[in-house]
Amino acid sequence: MPAGPPYPEVVVTGLGLVTPAGIGVAASWARILRGEPTAAADPALAGLPVDFSCRVPGFHAQELVGRRLAWRTDRYTHLALVAAREAVADAGLDPAGWDGARVGVVIGNALGGTETYERQQQVLREEGATQVSPMVVPMMGVSMVAGYLAIDVHATGPNLVTATACASGTTAVGTALQLLRTGACDVVLAGGTEASLTPTVIAGFAQMGALSRRSADPAAASRPFDVDRDGFVPAEGAGMLVLERLADARARGATVRARLAGYGASADAYHATSPDPAGAGVERAIRRALADAGVAPGEVDHVNAHGTATPLNDVAEAAVLRRVFGARPAVTSVKGVTGHSLGGAGGIEAACTVLSVQHGVVPPTANLSRLDPRVECDVVAEAPRIMPVRVAVSNSFGFGGQNAVLVLSTA
Amino acid sequence: MDEILERISTLLTTRFGVAEDEVAADSVLADLDLDSLALVEFGLVAEKEFGVRITEDEVSPNHTVSYLAELILAKAPVA
Repeated sequence: MPAGPPYPEVVVTGLGLVTPAGIGVAASWARILRGEPTAAADPALAGLPVDFSCRVPGFHAQELVGRRLAWRTDRYTHLALVAAREAVADAGLDPAGWDGARVGVVIGNALGGTETYERQQQVLREEGATQVSPMVVPMMGVSMVAGYLAIDVHATGPNLVTATACASGTTAVGTALQLLRTGACDVVLAGGTEASLTPTVIAGFAQMGALSRRSADPAAASRPFDVDRDGFVPAEGAGMLVLERLADARARGATVRARLAGYGASADAYHATSPDPAGAGVERAIRRALADAGVAPGEVDHVNAHGTATPLNDVAEAAVLRRVFGARPAVTSVKGVTGHSLGGAGGIEAACTVLSVQHGVVPPTANLSRLDPRVECDVVAEAPRIMPVRVAVSNSFGFGGQNAVLVLSTA
Repeated sequence: MDEILERISTLLTTRFGVAEDEVAADSVLADLDLDSLALVEFGLVAEKEFGVRITEDEVSPNHTVSYLAELILAKAPVA
């Protein structure tokens, strides 16, 4: 009999999603399973070289967040608040009754409140320094979302924001795993959020050549692993998980959705924004996560890939997947539906991976009509694949060469 | 005075997330979640609305809405 992991087991008992595919886990997951893209023309980006994005539809902050809190917080916090409240309720936990000092909050975010910043930058230029809002710093700072969540759910334990660019949400979930294993917390609210669909940010990404230019047909623009992909589609969104130790979850009779079995992280130390074409850093993070979970590569049924649809990422990632796992796992990228929400992506995709494990279904990669011949993996396309998913991997890689990988498995 | 109170009430409901039925002349600002930062923001908004400057040291979260109205009226009696 195997010795088992050296740490107490950690499980996922709650999920919350606010994504371009919908508000709430049910709505988001349904559209992701349908493989229905969300990218559309974005009036806020009109006139820019890239004028389309994936936005959360029908998100009315005053109504969903509460009027008194909405005006003093940025949209990246709004999305996180709504997803976090859903996750806590889904876990069957009541913040009014819990020992807040044992509850941690670890949230991934890349860019902070850029909507607030860009608006106040304009005030500074047009009206002068004395007209700049005193709220600008507390609204835009990347750390603020974790602070506001702590107030909202009365979580007075460890509280931090992880910033590893597009890996931020995954880094947050992995960091939460460590807080639970060491006993620093009994419950951690972890995930990612981003709402940076603002002109300066999008213009900057466009100048980098990172974004799809398929303005004439936005719905077809986010096409991970497809031979005709030409860049990612910027998105907003938040994904949150409630994590706790298995023994605690069992003791309170909670529904366990999946086990968070392992986490691995690494740095490419190669280039500021280009992935290492050899994928050495990515491979190291994946192998580290597998070792942490105590699973062999051959046991992995499903990989929820980073799959941004940039020409470089998808071939480099696929090569590593092939090298580590062979052709066996069912690979998908939900970014075909959701676009790429930067720091939010890791939280959203961890939640999707949990749902795949729990329900035994892998969503299709939207817009994948012709697989890039250099991608020698079993990428799920067209329809969801019903299959047992006992062990799954979720990948996220950030500009800066930061790689973060989670292993999730059946409870 | 009543007109000023009404305009303040409108600012609070449209800009500071306070529900209409929560604002009364004797409402304490802190009870409307107007902390010191929010009052700095209110000062900026009020400057545009009434053409007078309310500074940080003139008002605190413990004051009432009618105190704000008196302050504005004293600075701009014809507002």
